[in-house]
Amino acid sequence: MKCPRCVQRIHRAASSCPQCGFSLADADACFGAEELRLRCLTDTSGILRQGDRERVEVAMEKIMRRFPQVFVAIYTGSLGEVANIRQFGFWLLNRSAFEDVPLEKPNEAGILLTIDPSSKAAGMVFGYLLDPFLTEADTFECLSRAHAYWLEGRYADGIVRALHHLDGILRQRSRHARRDPEHYERKVTPPAKMGDLVRRIRAGHRPLGVNEEESEEVVR
Amino acid sequence: MREFGWIAVVFCAVSSVLYASEEQALPTWSGNERADLEAKGWRLGALLLADDAASEESAKALATLREAESAKSEELVEDQKPSPEIAENFLPAYFAERPKSFLVDPQGLLSPSEYRDRLKFLEDHGKDSSIDLFVYLIGGEQEIPGAVREEEVIERFFTSGRPATVIFYYLGAPQRSALYLSPSMTDLVTAAQQRRALESSVKHAFESTEPVEQFEKFLVQMSIRVYWMEPKSPVLPAAPEPTQAVGAENKITGKSLILLGATEWVKRYKIPISGVVVIFLSGFGLLRWWTGRVRYEFPVFEVEPRLGGAHAAGVGAVISFASAGLPPALQRDQVPDYLRRA
Repeated sequence: MKCPRCVQRIHRAASSCPQCGFSLADADACFGAEELRLRCLTDTSGILRQGDRERVEVAMEKIMRRFPQVFVAIYTGSLGEVANIRQFGFWLLNRSAFEDVPLEKPNEAGILLTIDPSSKAAGMVFGYLLDPFLTEADTFECLSRAHAYWLEGRYADGIVRALHHLDGILRQRSRHARRDPEHYERKVTPPAKMGDLVRRIRAGHRPLGVNEEESEEVVR
Repeated sequence: MREFGWIAVVFCAVSSVLYASEEQALPTWSGNERADLEAKGWRLGALLLADDAASEESAKALATLREAESAKSEELVEDQKPSPEIAENFLPAYFAERPKSFLVDPQGLLSPSEYRDRLKFLEDHGKDSSIDLFVYLIGGEQEIPGAVREEEVIERFFTSGRPATVIFYYLGAPQRSALYLSPSMTDLVTAAQQRRALESSVKHAFESTEPVEQFEKFLVQMSIRVYWMEPKSPVLPAAPEPTQAVGAENKITGKSLILLGATEWVKRYKIPISGVVVIFLSGFGLLRWWTGRVRYEFPVFEVEPRLGGAHAAGVGAVISFASAGLPPALQRDQVPDYLRRA
């Protein structure tokens, strides 16, 4: 994954970005540390009309029905000139409590689409549950599907189109994950430490028929 | 009672001895009677009437007669044995031009009614299939003269017009049959397919021992096999319409071919269009319903939190939609925050 501020690749379990030192605390300092209460579809900039809202909600529900572990949230609003939409998305998904999402779906299972009509930018952020299954390239594909509609100001059409593409990607990844879960597990499993490696090599050379207790006795 | 039994036995024995002594001699023919009969020309049973000398003569005569008869029968067999090659007078009818009917039998090997039936079958096949089936009927022991090359015949007469399968069928000897395809089909139907079609047809023919029935079974199976060849040959030109432009068939696209094939299929099996539409819509609806009900799950792995985020650190892409002149890839925001602010 990449740092929301410097867009440099960071390693697993980094508490802050090794390049720029960014962490959630920096985002809190920018946007506030309190928890927000939001609905899944929050249109603070008012770009969606009544009919548009329904269409977007239908598309969101479709994904939530098809993927019972996952939910989709959409936030539209003007972030101002100083705010960065990437950092804002990261902060929002970590600090928001979505009122209309069942409790059994934590924010780890969320996919947040943020649109800033003022600066004409949009970004997508996803929780840890989808970390092994989605990539930055996938989210870019979804956003680029909506690009043409957003250029014309047809935000609802663009959102529906992006969600439709997201649905396809998630289905494909779910099927693949069912067939080959190790492939995705490897992406999030921490790398083996040197001690673990030596221990595994020794275990591999253990003579057949000798169990753990016997080998311990031999050591003693 | 026992005395009566003995008397009866003795009586029977005595009466049989007396009857044997009184048995009459066999009738003998006098010389006059024989002369009379011979004068009247009555020859039947002459041997019975003949005495020893006469029987010797007649035996000699009989032997001569048998020799003569056997000689005649051999000559007859020699005469009846067909010449191995098709007679020269039939060759123009066979190979001078493209056959005008699907069944070519100038020698009249089939009876008129049989010919009519088989020809009707081949004509029906031609109506239903886009590949015609032509049959040259040849006698079971006949040979096509060496001067005639089958490949050349096919090349000369079947290059133009509808695609065709041409069979040289030997009546009574189906195993000698040969299959040729018109040049437009040779690249589309593999040699293995052709061989299998022929073998299968010959196998079906041998279900009967009667040559005409063999021929009938052969044609039925071959017709089926020719149908099977159709889907494998998607660029088969349709029958040229009189008003159609010469190059029109080259404009057939993949989509129209599918449509053409579907229409042909519907026509062949006489399925009503409405039925097809209903089946298609039902299938589509069923598929939608099924895909709508499918639920997708993701395996849950333990992910170590990053950057202090308890729920998420999977930062995805950011795109700008400020310029209509640039493609989305060029409007992908990869710029670090601190550079943008600067």
